[in-house]
Amino acid sequence: MSIDAERLKLPFARPNVLELAPLYELLRREAPIAPVTTPAGDPAWLVTRYEEVKLLLGDKRFGRSHPEPEKASRVSTSAVQDGPSGEYATEEADHTRMRRLLTPAFSAKRMRMLGENMQRLVDACLDSLIAEHERTGVVDLHRGLAFPLPVAMICGLLGVPEEDNELFASLSERMASTEIGEEAHQAREEFFRYMVGLVEGKRGQLGEDVISDLVRAQAEDPSFDYVEMVRLCVGLLFAGHETTVNRIGLGVLFLLTERSRWDALVADPEGRVDAVVEEVMRLGAPGDLGLLRYAREDVDIAGVTIRAGDALVLSINAANRDATVYSEAEEFNPDRPERTHLGFGHGAHFCIGASLARTELRVVFAALAKRLPDMRLAKELDQLQVRATLTGGVAELPVTWRSA
Amino acid sequence: MNIVVDQGKCVGAGQCVLAADDVFDQRDDDGLVDLLDANPPAERLADVRHAAAVCPASAISVHF
Repeated sequence: MSIDAERLKLPFARPNVLELAPLYELLRREAPIAPVTTPAGDPAWLVTRYEEVKLLLGDKRFGRSHPEPEKASRVSTSAVQDGPSGEYATEEADHTRMRRLLTPAFSAKRMRMLGENMQRLVDACLDSLIAEHERTGVVDLHRGLAFPLPVAMICGLLGVPEEDNELFASLSERMASTEIGEEAHQAREEFFRYMVGLVEGKRGQLGEDVISDLVRAQAEDPSFDYVEMVRLCVGLLFAGHETTVNRIGLGVLFLLTERSRWDALVADPEGRVDAVVEEVMRLGAPGDLGLLRYAREDVDIAGVTIRAGDALVLSINAANRDATVYSEAEEFNPDRPERTHLGFGHGAHFCIGASLARTELRVVFAALAKRLPDMRLAKELDQLQVRATLTGGVAELPVTWRSA
Repeated sequence: MNIVVDQGKCVGAGQCVLAADDVFDQRDDDGLVDLLDANPPAERLADVRHAAAVCPASAISVHF
C-alpha cells in the first residue's frame, strides 16, 4: 500500500486494546512525520518515530498554545487536548511558574513516603474483593481497585472530598469522550464550576494540600489568572486519576493474557515489580492519538517542512514501540536491556505525577501478585468493554481465582 | 566520575532520585535537582548513567 495516495485519517483502527494498528510500523519506517486528518477533520502532522517524538517534546519551537487559537487545527471532539491552550506570548513563563509551584508537592521522595498509605489502601481494596469473590466467584478489579486507589490518592494530595468521586469521575469521562460531540465541552464547563465551588469553599480555611497552595499563590500573584488557576486544578484532578486507572487496567491485561508474564511476577514480586511497571508504561497504549503541539516557527525535520501554527500529534504509543530503539519492540519483556521510554513524556511537560503513578503502580502490581497469584481474566480480551474516551482503557476488569 | 547538573534545565521530574537517591535529591522549596554527591564511587556508575539517560530535561552530565 502507498501511504502517499491519500491523506490518512486518525484514528487508525486497532486490533484490540493492547495492540496498535499495524500502519504505525509502516509510518515509522516510511513517513515518521506524516500529514494526517484529525478526528475533528483538521490537518495535522502525525509523528511516530521515537527519535522525532523525543526531539519535538524537548524542543521549545513547539508549544501548546497558538497565536490565533480560533484558526488552529482541532484534534478531537473531546474536551481534553483537543486544541490549543494557554497564552501564546507568555506560555513558557506561565508553564515555568506552574511547575515551580507544583513540583515540590509531587517530588519523588514525598511520593515514596505515601507508599505505606497506599499499601494500606490496596490491602483494604483486596480484602473487600476477596470477600466479594467468596460470594460471587468473579470480581471487577476496575471498580474494586484500579479506580478507588488513584482516586483516593489524588483526592488526598489535592484536598478534594473523596465522596465527590462519582461526580468528578463522570465529568472526567464525559469531558474526555470522543463520541458525544459538544456535550464533552459542556462537561468541561461543569467541571470548571465544580472546581470554583471547591476553591471558594477552601478559601476561608486553606489547608496543607495542592489546591490550597494554588489558591494562596494565585491570591499573591497578580499575573496568575484566576481562570487559569481553576483550569489547572481541573487538569490535575482529571489527570491524577484517569491516567493511572487506565494504566492499572492495561497492566493487568498485559500480565494476564500471557500466563508466563504473570507467573514470572508471582515468583518474585518485589524483585520484578519495578521492571514490570516500566514495561507497562512503555507498552500500555491508552487512546488513539498522542500529545498535541503547535509549531511556533517554521521547522524542517525528517524530510518535511512544518509551518508555524501547524498542529502535531506526537504518538507516544508508536514511539514506544519503535523497532530501531527496542529489540522485539512489540513484545512485553520486563527484562529488556532498553530501560527508557516516553510513557511519561519528555522535556518541559514531563508528567508531573510520574513519581506518584510509579509508586501506585508498584504497590498495586506487587500486592496483586502476592495476594492473588491464581488470578485470571474472567472474560476474553476482545469481550471487554473499551472506553470511548481520549485516554482509552477498559471499563471493566472481571477476574476470578476460583479453581476451574 | 564527576557529575554536573544544570538547574536551569531541570524540570523537577524526580527521575534521578528514583534512579539513585544517594546521589540526587529534590530541593524542598522548588523540587529542582539537589546534587548530594558530585563524585560518587565507581560502583554507582550504572545508576548514575541511568539517571542521566532518563532525565527528561537532559540536565545531568557525567564526566570522567
